[in-house]
Amino acid sequence: MEPNIVFYIYSFPVSDSLLFTWIIMAVLSIGSYLLTRNLEKVPRGVQHILEVTVEGIEKIVVNDMGQGGKVFVPLIMAIFLFILFSNVIGVVPGAVSPTADLSTTLALALVVWVVGHGAEIYYKGVKSWAKGFFEPYWFLFPINLVGEISQVLSHSFRLYGNIFGGGILLGVLYMVVPYVAPVPLLAWFGVLMGAIQAAVFTMLAIAYIQMHMD
Amino acid sequence: MMEIAIIISAIAISSGIALLVGGAVGLGEGYVAGKAVEAIGRQPEAENAIRTTMILGQAISESGAIYSLAVVLLMIFTIVLPLLGRFMDLLG
Repeated sequence: MEPNIVFYIYSFPVSDSLLFTWIIMAVLSIGSYLLTRNLEKVPRGVQHILEVTVEGIEKIVVNDMGQGGKVFVPLIMAIFLFILFSNVIGVVPGAVSPTADLSTTLALALVVWVVGHGAEIYYKGVKSWAKGFFEPYWFLFPINLVGEISQVLSHSFRLYGNIFGGGILLGVLYMVVPYVAPVPLLAWFGVLMGAIQAAVFTMLAIAYIQMHMD
Repeated sequence: MMEIAIIISAIAISSGIALLVGGAVGLGEGYVAGKAVEAIGRQPEAENAIRTTMILGQAISESGAIYSLAVVLLMIFTIVLPLLGRFMDLLG
């Protein structure tokens, strides 16, 4: 499956997924800067939503990982917001979800994998990490390796298959019924399943990092 | 042209067989939903926790069917679509 090249930056091809990744990054960064300029002790207005989101995710992370998990809250929140925005933006006609591209989801799953192993090396030392591959029995070493690969693959393919498959289904529906009828299905597949898949990816990311930390 | 016809028909048949997996997944998820409804009936205060856990569990078990969907989409987009152009030209 060839990526659709939208334009070139000095002979660097920019595909449509990459363009929308940049758009979502800009929206999240500029939005979070603008919304946190005048924080007040007693929250008003938009600050309520921000505090609810941050505290919600912090509660879930600390529930799973203990107080040491607070270090990972920014990463988990960035992953969750990025996947949520990019799943929902696919509903807009003409827009492409970056997560409908296997490159994006594989990159996210690899980030979680590297952070997990890196955290284990940082907090428990290299020897404990290397010994972890031979637990519980030494001859299970190849199975542990295959387990790591399959964990990354399943983590990425779940998100990719759900969003890309939803896009295909909606594309077929557009060919049959172009006008009013797709709207409830767009709401179901695009918004609801997108939000659920973002939550599932995030929860699994928390669980995977926690498995390295105990 | 005969080989292309065989390839395309084989992919079509195997895609149909691969997507039968969705039947078992639907059965499992329906069973879990039934258990969740039972649990809510037994303890209505825990409704929020039960609903969240059910959604989470079903999204993860749905990924089994999504793997077969991903393989089918991969086959169609990388094998059938390029061959279809050539096949239509050969048919005339």
